[in-house]
Amino acid sequence: MSDLLLFLAFFSAVNPSRSRVGLPEGAGGRMRPGAVAVGAALSLLVIAALGWWSASILEALEITPETFRIAAGLVAVLAGWWAFVMAVPATEPPLGGWRDGVWPIAYPRILAPEVLLLAMAGATQNGVAAMTAAAGVGIGVLAALGAVRGTTRATRVLVAGGRVLAVLLVVAGIFLMVDGIRDV
Amino acid sequence: MIRRRLALHLSVLVAAAGVLRVGIVPAEVCPPVTAAEVEASIDEAVAWIARGMTPEGRYTYGYDRGEDRVNNGYNGPRHAGVTMSLYQAHAVTGSDAALAAADRGLDYALDGLFTHGGFTAWDVLGEVNTGANGLLLAGLAIRREATGDTTHDDLMRGIGRFLVIQQYPDGSVSGYWHRSTGTSDPVFGTYSTGEAAWALALLDRAFPGEGWGDAAARTVDYMATERDRREGRITRLPDHWAAYTIAELRPDLLTDARMDYARQLVGYFGMRLRFEAQRRGDGINLLLRWFPGPPAGVGTAGEGIGALWLLADDPRLTDLAPNIEERIGCTAGFMVGRQVTAEEAAASARPDLERGAWFYRGYTQMDDQQHVLSSMLAALRLMEEDRT
Repeated sequence: MSDLLLFLAFFSAVNPSRSRVGLPEGAGGRMRPGAVAVGAALSLLVIAALGWWSASILEALEITPETFRIAAGLVAVLAGWWAFVMAVPATEPPLGGWRDGVWPIAYPRILAPEVLLLAMAGATQNGVAAMTAAAGVGIGVLAALGAVRGTTRATRVLVAGGRVLAVLLVVAGIFLMVDGIRDV
Repeated sequence: MIRRRLALHLSVLVAAAGVLRVGIVPAEVCPPVTAAEVEASIDEAVAWIARGMTPEGRYTYGYDRGEDRVNNGYNGPRHAGVTMSLYQAHAVTGSDAALAAADRGLDYALDGLFTHGGFTAWDVLGEVNTGANGLLLAGLAIRREATGDTTHDDLMRGIGRFLVIQQYPDGSVSGYWHRSTGTSDPVFGTYSTGEAAWALALLDRAFPGEGWGDAAARTVDYMATERDRREGRITRLPDHWAAYTIAELRPDLLTDARMDYARQLVGYFGMRLRFEAQRRGDGINLLLRWFPGPPAGVGTAGEGIGALWLLADDPRLTDLAPNIEERIGCTAGFMVGRQVTAEEAAASARPDLERGAWFYRGYTQMDDQQHVLSSMLAALRLMEEDRT
């Protein structure tokens, strides 16, 4: 897949706009910076590690990277459809303090199945660095959105943006599947 | 509360991973295989073909082991295809048995030749089929290069002239010629277009400077751009004969557009072979992937990708070379495993009709052996190059 497709796929899979909705907020309606930093760092670490081990994992599973791209694309399409239909994600009970970064920011919000599969599919074709950088952009935007106050108006805009990115994820998933089918 | 939500999320994740694994990405099994095993498999396939030949040089057409019934049908393109494949076997392995069987098959075809208006063609069973003539010519060209025997040069040029007569100005190719009317039939054959083009490309290799290659290239362009729409197909035809043709075109004829077509073909064959490697034919895999595919179908993908491996040094395909080589090796691995061994055949009603053959749900046909044999030859060529 091209670097542009990789970036679009990751950005729409992390879907910072939708992911921001319903995450635990501190005083003033903003996410706690400590929790955001922990969540972002932990997510990037898991994504990079998964990318690093992707070739070995696929080899152990006896799946060629080309075929795996078809699976990742399919999951991306389904996840995009789900994100479009369920524009507001379920609110998860927070652990409290910086630990909110682990639950629910890193998991289940950022490290969703489509992101995990993209990490493996992207790393095997585009390399771990490019894949992690693509993931980093989406996660960075989510961290930046943490500073936005969760007002009713802001939430409406985030939900609308989330829907746009959900459609983009469906398109990216289709391209990824076609890529996997046409590859050797 | 958090534990319950975590358990829910993880359950969904595990269940989805399970569905994905079983339904979308089952293991692609590529049993390791050695060059010796591939060579033994080739010898067994050649022996199956040779054992089943009639005194006049026809091959056994098909055999149903469930009913212990030999299919006595016959078909010109398949006769020529098997003959060509045997010549390939001689060219790659030096097998005398393959050459002897192929020459007997050639004699059968030579009995049906006729000349008309400057060309020579093979009338097989009352039908002048372009594909059959293309494959006959391809076999002759491979024989000439492997043996150095120029006995059939005039015949090769005569059939070449027939193929050019069958070609329309846009590169499309008539599938048949009518002896009664002396005209080409404006009907296309599914594979005869590619078979004719490949023969012309090989003829250009044998007799450079006579214009055969340009005719072949014209048909490659037609296959790459117009054929599927013109001939009423919704999807692209994964044509292994087109792959052979591009692989044999003169270097100056390998334009970017033709190499793009080669890339597309490699993609079709790669996908087909990856899917095939997922098939085990038992349990839930049988429900989701069905039986291991018909050997002729698997073989065509194997020989198609094997033909294009010859172009893997071209900078426009180099990036695909590792994957191409992996697919060729993988296909050889699972097809060696699917071939009926001497031990398995010994317990059957007709060991001679089973040993060395590839069956699909209890039935095997001469083209099953032909295409898998050609695919195995591509694998052997690759393995020998790796060894050296």
